[in-house]
Amino acid sequence: MPHIFVTTAKNVTHELEIDNGATAMITIRDAGLDGLLALCGGVCACATCHVYVDPACASMLGEMSADEDELLDGSIRRKENSRLSCQILLTDALDGLRLTIADED
Amino acid sequence: MNGIAQLDLVDRDYFTDHSILLDPYEYFEALREKGPVYRLPGRDIFMVTGFAESLEVLANTVDFSSVICVGGPAQQMPFTPEGDNLTPQIEAHRDSFAGGQSLVARDDKAHLNSRALLSRLFVPSRMKANEAYMTGLADRLVKGVLDRGSCELITDIAVPFATLVIADLLGVPADDRDHFMAVIAAGAPPGALDGDDSEESMHPLVVMAGYFVNYIIDRKQNPRADVLTELATASYPDGTLPDVAELVRLSTFVFGAGQDTTAKLLGNAMRFLIEVPGMQAQLRADPKQLPAFLEEVLRLEGSTKMTSRLARKTTTVGGVEIPIGTKVMVALAAANRDPRRWEDPKAFMLNRPRIKENLAFGRGAHVCIGNPLARVETRIVFEKLFEHTSHIGYDETAHGKPGSLKLDYEPSFIIRGLEKMQLALTPR
Repeated sequence: MPHIFVTTAKNVTHELEIDNGATAMITIRDAGLDGLLALCGGVCACATCHVYVDPACASMLGEMSADEDELLDGSIRRKENSRLSCQILLTDALDGLRLTIADED
Repeated sequence: MNGIAQLDLVDRDYFTDHSILLDPYEYFEALREKGPVYRLPGRDIFMVTGFAESLEVLANTVDFSSVICVGGPAQQMPFTPEGDNLTPQIEAHRDSFAGGQSLVARDDKAHLNSRALLSRLFVPSRMKANEAYMTGLADRLVKGVLDRGSCELITDIAVPFATLVIADLLGVPADDRDHFMAVIAAGAPPGALDGDDSEESMHPLVVMAGYFVNYIIDRKQNPRADVLTELATASYPDGTLPDVAELVRLSTFVFGAGQDTTAKLLGNAMRFLIEVPGMQAQLRADPKQLPAFLEEVLRLEGSTKMTSRLARKTTTVGGVEIPIGTKVMVALAAANRDPRRWEDPKAFMLNRPRIKENLAFGRGAHVCIGNPLARVETRIVFEKLFEHTSHIGYDETAHGKPGSLKLDYEPSFIIRGLEKMQLALTPR
């Protein structure tokens, strides 16, 4: 089964099964992992599902939208590899994707 | 005496008692004394008043179903629970639950799919485009009442504003908007205590559905650059296409859900603006504090008091066993005043730490999808009121003098909001 790997703020890495059609945010939230608030519920309207994408996996994901870009700009923890996990739609093609949950602003 | 009064209060029926409407908070505090998760004696309902415990319920979509969300926990179950997982029975009887097909009541993949169709409505670029319309509309509505020097906030401003904003967001043609407003104004609020809730409150949505059927079919055949076209041609995350009935249900749902709750939130916010000493002067001097003001309003008096879940498996909340087939009422308004989470919870304080984590909009899979819109809407109405008036107060002939205010709340166990609020406006 295809999986993604998600590292929490406590530096614990979890292997989560890919549910085709669910976003990374939903997958992380439903797994009950600590640290992902996802306050807006996945409508790309806040930046509380902020994750870092392992640079080795960067090419697996497409470009981010202007909306996502703008929201991430509002985070003091934005880095080169920042993404909003509600905007990462999981498919089998993302097998092996590695994400780290960003600390809260 | 006091002890007897407390005992009385906690034993009253939240779902039918009109006296709890005026002040549900005292009742919630009486419940809280029984513990953050408390089973109503002799009933199959658990009341959750704790913040952490509420989060626990909202996060647990495995053991809890949202199917009772519209009808509430006091409704009759349409089946006798069997086995150790009620999911098959719930799905087989979904149509027998009040509003069981509504987005708020759906579970699992069906919910995920439907919600995904709406997820592009509230992104920042869309909000900005919609904000221009909101600003013009709020300006027009406020100017419209200035000459009188008074207004009834809910009917004159809040309801038309919230209704027309959603109409604009969804791309409802201008000619149909007045009709929509009349239909909604005639309906009962969700969770009405009086009358036949399931039939009455759904009625305006049924009328609107007739219009949306035509919009969706038209946009499928004649796509144009509008939201209805986007919705009509959207696919589920797995690539499959929703049918017309589903699209109609979703668009009417957004219409219904975003209208009353926002209108009531405006009224609730106005109470704090008028009643918290110095608040009006402070916000007029620095309107940039409006979002912080609104978050504290949402915490103390959001327009949704509660939501509910059905235990489809036996589970626990806050260490308390919740047997399969029992119902949980998550008292969002009580969680937002939990002293274990909020320091001096009854006090109105701007910029509390992590205030945005308040539960006024819920949390998790079912968090209010329109929450970004509600926040913008409320801010804009207050900005326009500040721009055109130098002072806002109660109309004392309608509500009495400070200290003995008379305000009437809608008779609903779900919605927290005023039926009417007569304001005295001092134009600039």
